[in-house]
Amino acid sequence: MRAVLLLLLLLAPGLAGAQPLVARLSTDRVDVTTAFVGESVLVFGSTEQPIGPGGDEIIVVARGPSTDFVVRRRVNVLGMWLNGPSAHFDDVPSFYAIAGTLPAWRLLPEEVRQARGLGLDALPLTPSSGARSPQFRAALLDLKRNEGLWLEDVAPVDIAGNRLFQVRLPLPATVQPGVYEIAVHLIRSRQVVATERIGFIVARTGTAAEIERLARLQPAVYALICIILAALAGWLGSILFRRS
Amino acid sequence: MNPCPSQLRVLLLQIYLPIAEMSVDALLLVGIGFGVGWLSGLFGVGGGFLLTPLLMLIGIPSFVAVASGANQTLGASVSGLIAQARRGNVDWRMGAVLVAGGLLGSFVGVQLFAFLREKGQVDAAVALFYVVVLGIVGLLMVMESVRAIFRRVRARPQRLHQHSWAHGLPFKMRFRQSRLYISVLPPIAVGFGIGVLSAVMGVGGGFMLVPAMIYILGMPTSVVIGTSLFHVVCITASVTFFQAVQVGGVDIVLTMLLLAGGVAGAQFGASMGARLRGEETRALLGLLVLGVALMLMWNLVTPPERLFSVTRAP
Repeated sequence: MRAVLLLLLLLAPGLAGAQPLVARLSTDRVDVTTAFVGESVLVFGSTEQPIGPGGDEIIVVARGPSTDFVVRRRVNVLGMWLNGPSAHFDDVPSFYAIAGTLPAWRLLPEEVRQARGLGLDALPLTPSSGARSPQFRAALLDLKRNEGLWLEDVAPVDIAGNRLFQVRLPLPATVQPGVYEIAVHLIRSRQVVATERIGFIVARTGTAAEIERLARLQPAVYALICIILAALAGWLGSILFRRS
Repeated sequence: MNPCPSQLRVLLLQIYLPIAEMSVDALLLVGIGFGVGWLSGLFGVGGGFLLTPLLMLIGIPSFVAVASGANQTLGASVSGLIAQARRGNVDWRMGAVLVAGGLLGSFVGVQLFAFLREKGQVDAAVALFYVVVLGIVGLLMVMESVRAIFRRVRARPQRLHQHSWAHGLPFKMRFRQSRLYISVLPPIAVGFGIGVLSAVMGVGGGFMLVPAMIYILGMPTSVVIGTSLFHVVCITASVTFFQAVQVGGVDIVLTMLLLAGGVAGAQFGASMGARLRGEETRALLGLLVLGVALMLMWNLVTPPERLFSVTRAP
């Protein structure tokens, strides 16, 4: 990490000379292998003007691929806890992280922040069907935050030498494969003056990817392979471990 | 940057399950496989009824636990079937009739499972099935074996088998190896019922099938184990197939890890089980079955930690 900063420091004058904001990622690809336990991606960059109180500020927003989610509430039926009413949320980012040199609500006017979806409370989460109670939205926020998939100002953006910034985005093992878009906003006098858009891909690779792809595209073939492999393993095992 | 030893250990043990889409401790899975395999070897059952609830307990989604549990039971039963077939203890004809019902049952069971999943009720439904089925079977087993232990002197029935109304139905067929001439309807119905339960609960159903074969069909005990294993292998294969095609919950990485521990454990359990008396074994198995039923009932009736749950829309 120090090496990255040092490199950046050397490059900074050249980089920042032309543009007010430059941002890069430590990687453009996160591989989900069978040994995947989560990873973190470093967002770093530099600004032309000094960062800090009275000067420029930075907000970094990351969004994972969108999916439809169902939130269910358990209800007590005859003494048993069963799933009761549910609410469907369409096109919800499966991953969302926001970090800034200061929390977004302190940097931007409320209407700008809401319009740009900067902050968990600014995500357009209205159920497309099912229960209408605001409890469901609150539960979705709560559960996603607990899984580490939605992060809001967990750690502030680090500043070094007034012009360099960096923030680490932790991806838990449950991240969904797909395209992750990152927007780095430069804020000056409560306005977004520049935005740099970067991104990376989370992709299953190796055996895990092949298994998942086969199971999805050729379920019948995959099923037959599972049957044969399980039978072979059972048969082989009984020969190996036979205690005569 | 050098990873410190503890990080390295975590990296070695954690494995990502491609279908369950989560990473789990590989050694924990092998250990669960070993424990369940040991108990199943000890009691001579497939062990699916222990495995599937345990998988759900450690956080594997229930649709993956059920489908992979069936797949694992298939592997765990194959070697037993081979051994029984070598000794000529399989009534293939009866097996074929049972399997005919079982295939239909497993297909219907997977439809029911897919429907419940769509309605978001799969967790509770699987638990409820377990509570009811295991509760009844466990209770019957314990009562039966307690009675047998008290009697100790086992009055062997003089007749070949008890005749019941089930034997009088039409479509009679001769089953030489079981020394039976009965209607094919009861075995088809038994196979069907076990097939449905197998698909919904992710079990082989041996612990239900064996008593059904003895008490409902009147089969001699010598061919019951082998024939039930034949049914279990065929039905778990068909449940694996339908679950993989329709619900997509079979995780081969999970199955293999469980089998790695399972086949080893089963051998140790079997050598130990040979030293136990029949009635005691059955009483212990009954208690184990009841224990699982009670545990799942407890989970079902205790207020959940979180009232809300979120899943990806199917």
